[in-house]
Amino acid sequence: MKNPLGNFQRLSFLILSMLFAIGAFAQNKITGIVTDITGEPVIGASVVVRGTTNGSITDLNGNFSILNAPQNATLVVSYIGYETQTIVTNGRHELNVSLAEDKKTLEEVVVVGYGVQKKSDVTGALTRIGQTELNAMPVKDALQAMQGKTAGVDITTNQRPGETGGISIRGVRSLNADQGPLYVVDGMIIQNGGIENLNPQDIESIDVLKDASATAIYGSRGANGVILVTTKHGRNGKAVISYSGSVTVENMYDVTHMMNTGEWIAYARQAKMNQISKTGQNLYGSDTPSYNADKAIWGSIGASWANIEAGWSADHSIWNGDDASTYDWTKYGKQTGVSTEHTLSVAGGTDKIQAYGSFGFLRQESTQPGQLYKRYTAKVSVDATPQNWFKMGANINVAFGDQQYGYNFAKSVTGSGDYYSALKSMLPWTVPYDDNGLYIRNPAAGDVNIINPINELQYTENNRQQLTLNGSFYAELNIGEMWKPLTGLRFRTQFGPEFRYYRDGIAYAADGINGDGNNTASYNTNQTRSWTWDNLVYYDRTIAQNHKINLTLLQSSSDYHYELGDMKAIGTATTDEKWFNLFSAGKLNSFGTGLTEKQLESYMARLNYSYKDKYLLTASVRRDGASQLAEGHKWANFPSLALGWRIDQENFMKGITWIDGLKLRLGYGVTGNAAISPYGTKGAITTLYYNYGNTDSSIGYVASDPSQSSPAKMANSNLGWERTSQYNFGLDYSFLKNRITGSFDIYSTRTNDLLMDMSIPSLTGYTSTYANVGKTKGWGVDFQLNTINIMTKDFHWMTNITYSMDRSEISELANGVTEDLNNGWFVGRQIGIVGYDYVYDGIWKTSEAAEAAKYNRKPGQIKVKDLDGDGKIDATHDRCIRGYLRPKWSGGMTNTFTYKDFELSFFMYARWGFMVRTGALTLDGRYAQRKIDYWVANTNENAEYYAPGSNGEASDTYSSSMNYHDGSFIKMRNISFGYNVPKRYLDKLGIGALKLYVQALNPFMIYHRIKYLDTDLSSYDNNTVTSGSGVSTRSWAFGLNLSF
Amino acid sequence: MKNNIYLLAFMAASTLGLATSCSSDFLDEKLTTQYSTDHFKTQSGLDELSIGTYQKLKFQFNYTWGIKAFNWGVDEFTDANNSGPDYNNYGETLNSTNTEVNSPIWDNYFSGIESANTMIANIPQYYDKSAANYNTRLGEGYFFRGFYYYRLVQQYGGVPLKLQPSAGVETSFTRASEDACFAQIISDLEQAYNLLPTKQDGTGKVTKWAAAHFLAAVHLARASELYSSWNKDYVSSDLEAVVKYGKEVVTACPICPNYVDLWNYTKANDVNEKVSEVVLAAQFSDDQNTWGRYGNQMHLYYPAVYQDMSGTKRDISGDREFCYARSTNYTMDVFDRVNDSRFWKSFITCYGCNSSSDAPAWDAAAIAAGVCPSGAATNAKRFKGGQVATKYIVNDANDTRYLKYGTAEADVLKDGVLDATHTFVRYFKDEKSSWLDAHGNEGYYGAQKRFVALSKFRDGYRIAIASQFGTRDAIIARSAEDALMVAEAYARQGESHYDDALTYINMLRDRAGYASGEDRAVNVDGGQAYKNNAYCKDKGGGYSADGAIFSSENTYYESNNISATTESTKSAMHLNSVSDVYNSVVDSPIYQALGCTTNAQKMLCFLLDERTRELCGESLRWYDLVRTKTLEARWNAFNDGSVRGVGKFDAAKHYYRPIPQTFLNSITNANGVSLSDDEKQAMQNPGY
Repeated sequence: MKNPLGNFQRLSFLILSMLFAIGAFAQNKITGIVTDITGEPVIGASVVVRGTTNGSITDLNGNFSILNAPQNATLVVSYIGYETQTIVTNGRHELNVSLAEDKKTLEEVVVVGYGVQKKSDVTGALTRIGQTELNAMPVKDALQAMQGKTAGVDITTNQRPGETGGISIRGVRSLNADQGPLYVVDGMIIQNGGIENLNPQDIESIDVLKDASATAIYGSRGANGVILVTTKHGRNGKAVISYSGSVTVENMYDVTHMMNTGEWIAYARQAKMNQISKTGQNLYGSDTPSYNADKAIWGSIGASWANIEAGWSADHSIWNGDDASTYDWTKYGKQTGVSTEHTLSVAGGTDKIQAYGSFGFLRQESTQPGQLYKRYTAKVSVDATPQNWFKMGANINVAFGDQQYGYNFAKSVTGSGDYYSALKSMLPWTVPYDDNGLYIRNPAAGDVNIINPINELQYTENNRQQLTLNGSFYAELNIGEMWKPLTGLRFRTQFGPEFRYYRDGIAYAADGINGDGNNTASYNTNQTRSWTWDNLVYYDRTIAQNHKINLTLLQSSSDYHYELGDMKAIGTATTDEKWFNLFSAGKLNSFGTGLTEKQLESYMARLNYSYKDKYLLTASVRRDGASQLAEGHKWANFPSLALGWRIDQENFMKGITWIDGLKLRLGYGVTGNAAISPYGTKGAITTLYYNYGNTDSSIGYVASDPSQSSPAKMANSNLGWERTSQYNFGLDYSFLKNRITGSFDIYSTRTNDLLMDMSIPSLTGYTSTYANVGKTKGWGVDFQLNTINIMTKDFHWMTNITYSMDRSEISELANGVTEDLNNGWFVGRQIGIVGYDYVYDGIWKTSEAAEAAKYNRKPGQIKVKDLDGDGKIDATHDRCIRGYLRPKWSGGMTNTFTYKDFELSFFMYARWGFMVRTGALTLDGRYAQRKIDYWVANTNENAEYYAPGSNGEASDTYSSSMNYHDGSFIKMRNISFGYNVPKRYLDKLGIGALKLYVQALNPFMIYHRIKYLDTDLSSYDNNTVTSGSGVSTRSWAFGLNLSF
Repeated sequence: MKNNIYLLAFMAASTLGLATSCSSDFLDEKLTTQYSTDHFKTQSGLDELSIGTYQKLKFQFNYTWGIKAFNWGVDEFTDANNSGPDYNNYGETLNSTNTEVNSPIWDNYFSGIESANTMIANIPQYYDKSAANYNTRLGEGYFFRGFYYYRLVQQYGGVPLKLQPSAGVETSFTRASEDACFAQIISDLEQAYNLLPTKQDGTGKVTKWAAAHFLAAVHLARASELYSSWNKDYVSSDLEAVVKYGKEVVTACPICPNYVDLWNYTKANDVNEKVSEVVLAAQFSDDQNTWGRYGNQMHLYYPAVYQDMSGTKRDISGDREFCYARSTNYTMDVFDRVNDSRFWKSFITCYGCNSSSDAPAWDAAAIAAGVCPSGAATNAKRFKGGQVATKYIVNDANDTRYLKYGTAEADVLKDGVLDATHTFVRYFKDEKSSWLDAHGNEGYYGAQKRFVALSKFRDGYRIAIASQFGTRDAIIARSAEDALMVAEAYARQGESHYDDALTYINMLRDRAGYASGEDRAVNVDGGQAYKNNAYCKDKGGGYSADGAIFSSENTYYESNNISATTESTKSAMHLNSVSDVYNSVVDSPIYQALGCTTNAQKMLCFLLDERTRELCGESLRWYDLVRTKTLEARWNAFNDGSVRGVGKFDAAKHYYRPIPQTFLNSITNANGVSLSDDEKQAMQNPGY
């Protein structure tokens, strides 16, 4: 999309020149070569005899030839991006022309909503990520590539192959409605998820629209920012074949360290000793370590007990924990993950047709067995210009993902989310097999809740497949080319169909933990079909040289259709048939189908005006109607206005040579959010069945059933748009001959009519409803700085820094409520609290027994602050906000060193000042435990953790108060070393470009506050994603980029 | 050029046409897959609302609240392999922020009330008054509202009385007094009593007798000690009402001839679920497609752990041992286990072997020591599939037969000979009788997973070992309880009415005695349903073709140490006079433990004991002890949660549950703003 006009011209002339060349035989023939200042040939430059249509286009080597030229011809040599040269031949028949770059036209063009703009003309806050940054390290999806590269965009990662992380742009505003940004691929809005299915290698650039003056063009969908993706298209000229490939070797290591046998036994004994009855009996059965007590409690499985017994002396009198042996369960759950990625593409074209095609393959192995992700992507794009007044194009992205999800504990809501964690949660002294090599189901002295997972990979299969198709098709009429008086008027219609098919097949064998006695299989599918159809009118005109006008009008409709079908059978004949023969069970145990549809209709008008390229104005208004809102509330208007002042263009700046560019931007815009589930205004009722003494059920209904996992919400017939208005003040700068460039933005937002999923008293028959209530406000700063610190002939040192911070707070809630504890919302406080809870204040010491008793506590239990000082602890008065989930700031820094053809760069990423929910523990002496500092009477009185067993087998009453920790970290995310093989070697091989690189990904943490977690990652614990992971990975990547 | 202009005009026109044609109904939202609340404004919709409202009868048995809020923290059961610092031990975690048990009870019963409110408001408007079902539907509406309010009052005391359906969000609520709540409940149930028929088509539908049963229960509750601060004017009329309604139910819904008829479950919707004695039961079934999120989950909570004993594996017939509630020594000792068949018809004492391959073998050392039975060969299996693998000996402290042998958990010598089975014994030789301390090898204090487990909810008809979807109906009301309520009402009317009380108690005790010729060694419980269960075919109920955990044997004769007999014990069970109550052999130690000295104290204590004998585990106990204010004494005396050092019962607090914080946080005061901390505290029950 970059310079589309230029491409078009270049190509058409190139083809013309080829035609001329075929029919050429000399009269007065002028030949020559056009090069740029570096001596590289310029392909497709136009060489015309002034005053005639006689001319030529340079070929692939920059050569041209013109027949029938006058002896003293004046040749005009032009090429987009270069200053036009006029040369008088003076009878010469051979010319060498060197074109100089035209600074003005070379300027970067960026993608804005429904069009492109010169970067210098942009009035909104946006950032661009080009191919260089996107391809800087091997990534699985584009989000990963964007992380830390753009100020104001906060991205988190997910470890499981095939899963994507989260993204938010400029913080959060909405309380319940969707927080995700809008994705636009090649001009078409994506309604069907994100961009994770695009091969990053197929992406030309990503532009992020951040402020509302820029995103208001997307009206109701712009509230959370807009990510505009431009995929690669065919180029004029030589067809280029490119290959890029990489191999990544990844290894897992523990961040959380578990107790070994000696440590665990000491801890578990404490837990049992601390459970003392009134008559003085304790659960351990002894006040000191005792062989008999140990054996009575943990001795029932001989093979496991042997590990504990090893800690006892031969006569059973002396315990030495160091002698006890620990079984390494986790060795079965680790592997070296070798991932490979290949993309082959070809791009090229003629004057009338340009095409790009690629296919890519990603095979991502996990660092633990059983998980695997394979993704096949293909892309075709064709652009045709059969007439100068007509353009048409088609672009299709296809992706097929195949994910072996691997093991997770599905039987209840607690349990390990993956195989490695399941192994890690086994007690250190237990063993998987007995002395005869037979599987032991409950190796921890028969504890039925501790089930040996060693064989689970063979008993669990969870395969998720997804086929995604995104298309964009357009036709464009240049009406100005048809009828001169309408010069500058274009009409474009574009259609973006999307299709997604998803299938999740699960088979649990009877012998496994999840099957538990019966073969169980389920087959869940859903598909989404949606489309967007835009009709656009563009009018570009320059009046009296100084007034540039650009008008855009839009009419758009979009439609979304989602349907699903699920089925599950228990008792299938065999899991060898996976989920493909549910019939063998005789009947289904559960099944269901569903349908969701929504539509959106929009109109938009935008005016760009610039005066003398100095004063810029963008004004737009969009009107959106959404089907899921209530009748009479469906439509809303979203206006925006932005002003720009290119100070560097002013005369008074001409003398200041160290300033190359300076632009002030001021924007205001209103955006919306209707991203709530459809049918929220319809009052759908809940189906409940009852059986009056029969197997056959009678169908019944109630308004809502709170015992369901997501009960029906009360209908709100007044549901309308959530509206966010935002002011943005921005400054783009470039100093010292572009050695220092960047931008700075400060913004403030206000969101009204928040769409909230509001808890309501269950006395109404419902527990919640969607409502437009409450307001939030916020402000923030995005800062981007690129510097070239050292620039010599052979050596460059460049630094890129991004920094962003945002603050948002709730300014009003429904019904004048100032604290909504059920939802964790507090007026005047940030959105996204980590918890509203008691404040941990250490552990009661033995010497404080009397004081502790006043609070019904004992030494060894958690002390919490009595916030209101009334001498007792209660839920109403002694809890407070314990911190916020969003970081105070985040930022990234990339340093790149180039010496001749070698390049070294490293990228650091930081998220600072955010809280993570972790650390509350149940110290019952029953399950595996990470190493902690726990309280032991008179021995370790200053411990961090309470005495194990001090609340029986339950966790301490206030254990959740230990849950709030600062997750700040600075991570070295990537160190990369690359070598661009010099052209002089490649030319001989016929290779266009070749880059080889090696990288270390996530090589080390520079700093992290919580020592036992990698807070850059999240972990999945059966239905719940929590911030922070007990394991982390480190990898090496080797890759090459090659093009012909 | 001209063509171009035409083309342009065409394009412009078509664009315009497109833009306008899309607008008219493109944005109409059509919900085609579900009904809206307007459905409740039609007759068929109201019929279906009634069905939906029945569904809330199942709520009580759907999840952990079924055990925690209704039968934990009492004398009959204590926590087991799952510890209960909150509801069993009355610890700090039983507080207003509990969302596992406390707020679901509040939310779900109020949701049932809202459905009932809609029925009561809409039926007169939209239901054909001449329709045969008009009175029945309306009566159901009143029954549900009265019944669900009763459940709320049992937990929380006075709650907001909301009698009209909501048209939109409402947030202004205040609590009504207990007095007002009881008046409303009685009024609703009286309406139901007058409107409902004596019989409806279909098992499980509410009838006049269901309304009468709960009128008796509510009147009895109002006349109980918990409400003594305000109930004085009601007591005598309440007791008369209990007698009236209770007797009607006893007459209309005769008790089964044999106690086991209630529990003889062999398949879904079996005959035992249609017996005359059951006045109302929550209906569960095997129609998997309509199960929704929960089934009857009570089968998960009562089992003792069996699967970790060698020779046994978890199977469908044995249940999935979530193991929440262990029977206490009180529950064992409150029964006359020789004469009262109800004990052996309520509890499991034998587990079958279903895994011969890992059954234990005789070891050479034991053979050498001479403790093995004659003929025991080294490495020969001690038992195999189809035989009993594990048994519980329910004996008393003076039993001298049993001794622990070796280190294995359940190796026991009986009269010097090693038992072939895993054997758990309550009292070994020379151990002292005790309510709370450890004895025998059942574990008790500490390792809480071994105990004589209640069998009333055992469900061998589930579709998988791990399936939580129980298929058995859960009894909410049966006429045996009416007999006990009538008896209690007479007892409360004074000593002159004790003989009348005995008449009704004897109805149950006469049934409880063994009939002449009855085989006392047979065990019957819902585990046997595995035999008819398609999912157990060829699998012995799960893993193994060897056998099933369910055993049709019990330890009656061995536990009681008596020789086989088939003589009737009915006369031994019969109370001939009140002195049989005052001097009852099994109840006297309980009178002593609780300090009951007067006749009235003994009578009420006996009645509560008899309720355990008849209704043990049937989700009534917590509230029975609460309304009679005997919970504190009985919890301290019989529930080991009281001695574990975690939590203690506070009489100023624990007779009521905390008002859920979610409710307090979501309502507004008279000024339309959310409650201040002080206002919340004022609305909260004392102590929370």
